[in-house]
Amino acid sequence: MKDIKKMSQKILEIVNKVLENRSKTKLESLSPEMHLRNDIGFDSLDLAELTVRIEAEYDIDIFEDGIVNTISEILEILNIK
Amino acid sequence: MNFFFKDIKADRHILWEVLVNDINASLTYNQYCKSADFYEVFKNIIISMIFGKEVILLDSDFTESELMTLTGYSEYTEFTELLDRRSFSVFNSKEELVEKLSTTSDDWRLTLFTSGTTGIPKKISHNFNSITRFITTTKSINNIWGFAYNPTHMAGVQVFFQALLNGDAIVRLFNLTPNEIQREIKENHITHVSATPTFYRLLLSSEETFPSVLRITSGGEKFSKAIAYQLQIKFPNAKITNIYASTEAGTLFASSNDVFSIKPEFEHLIKVENKELLIHCSLLGKLNTNIKEWYKTGDLVENISEKPLKIRFISRKSDTINIGGYKVNPLEVEEIILSLPGIKNARVYSQTNSVLGNIICSEIVCENKEITESSIRKLLQAKIQEYKIPRIIKFVNYITTTKSGKLERL
Repeated sequence: MKDIKKMSQKILEIVNKVLENRSKTKLESLSPEMHLRNDIGFDSLDLAELTVRIEAEYDIDIFEDGIVNTISEILEILNIK
Repeated sequence: MNFFFKDIKADRHILWEVLVNDINASLTYNQYCKSADFYEVFKNIIISMIFGKEVILLDSDFTESELMTLTGYSEYTEFTELLDRRSFSVFNSKEELVEKLSTTSDDWRLTLFTSGTTGIPKKISHNFNSITRFITTTKSINNIWGFAYNPTHMAGVQVFFQALLNGDAIVRLFNLTPNEIQREIKENHITHVSATPTFYRLLLSSEETFPSVLRITSGGEKFSKAIAYQLQIKFPNAKITNIYASTEAGTLFASSNDVFSIKPEFEHLIKVENKELLIHCSLLGKLNTNIKEWYKTGDLVENISEKPLKIRFISRKSDTINIGGYKVNPLEVEEIILSLPGIKNARVYSQTNSVLGNIICSEIVCENKEITESSIRKLLQAKIQEYKIPRIIKFVNYITTTKSGKLERL
């Protein structure tokens, strides 16, 4: 089991980086059930950027096998692979 | 179901009779059409057709500097003109309006802009014939169209005309969240959807199926058998069609998979030269004088068979990068980056991406360390449309070039 807390922190950083780049308001914290589009407000450009930044960090393309919807799904993929 | 347009983002639910009234009541017209409200864009196009005037479609998110480059102006109020109401009678019904629009005069022009190959977007004009060449009119069937494109781009224009000339209904799906899109398809019993593979990929993540949809059209990006298979599960009653279209020519070919069979009557108007698809100028919007007899599409194809002619698309030849169906010219983006203060050199290139097919990246050499990725992105947001802005910016000491000294893009 990888360090979930550390990983979540890193994902928050990456999510905030994407938000900042689009001049959107950053998040204080993340919760697993948060939906990337409906809650965080990502559009497909943001999702594309998110996947590249996560891949740069963990060497895993989270969207490789289909679209990921929530934060917990991201953590799951990063943990399994 | 007698509505013309539904848009949950703009909170609009327009019945056909409301559209007819709005058209009857319009007193002014502006040929420069720039609005984030799809209904305003649709109305403007309709008025331009009735009066046989040119309509110039501008993306609502074009920045001031983009508008200056494209049109020479960034403000268009002075172009508002009074309509000469004596020249047309009042429409009494949807049928009368559709009838009038179906006989639009040859003087009418629709102009839009496409990412050029030289760094500056190209201006493309169409007349009624070239826009509606592939539009089929089926009387008495009321289809409901899911509108998944920008209305100021060619693909959106084509869906709009298909629906308009059949007196159908349009439901906005463009720029909605997947949840909203699914709800709109279900609630409105949408029967037809035309969109890019990127759009469909974002829908495929849910378990839901959409039996109301009878026709799925995919275009603007490379289509694959895998997508066709997944779409058939999602839309169990739909006939799935892959189309090849361009801003210059409109829709050219259709197929049920990734191989296009060219109809015999078109065979002499299509040729493949050095793997690149060339189309005859008679298939283009007639008014594009800068195009010679054969227009080079920049699309690389492989010949599957000669007679009948069958082709499959492989990739783009030109520098144009396809971002989820939007074409971006890296030269245009490079020029803009180089115009920012403190930037010494820049290279813009594409990287494959599982969400959008490709994304734009950039390597930048700058004069000082105060320049950051987000500071550049903010400056670019004022100058170019969001989808043209590099998602990933790397700061480097020098830019790598190819053997010929050119910047490498792929």
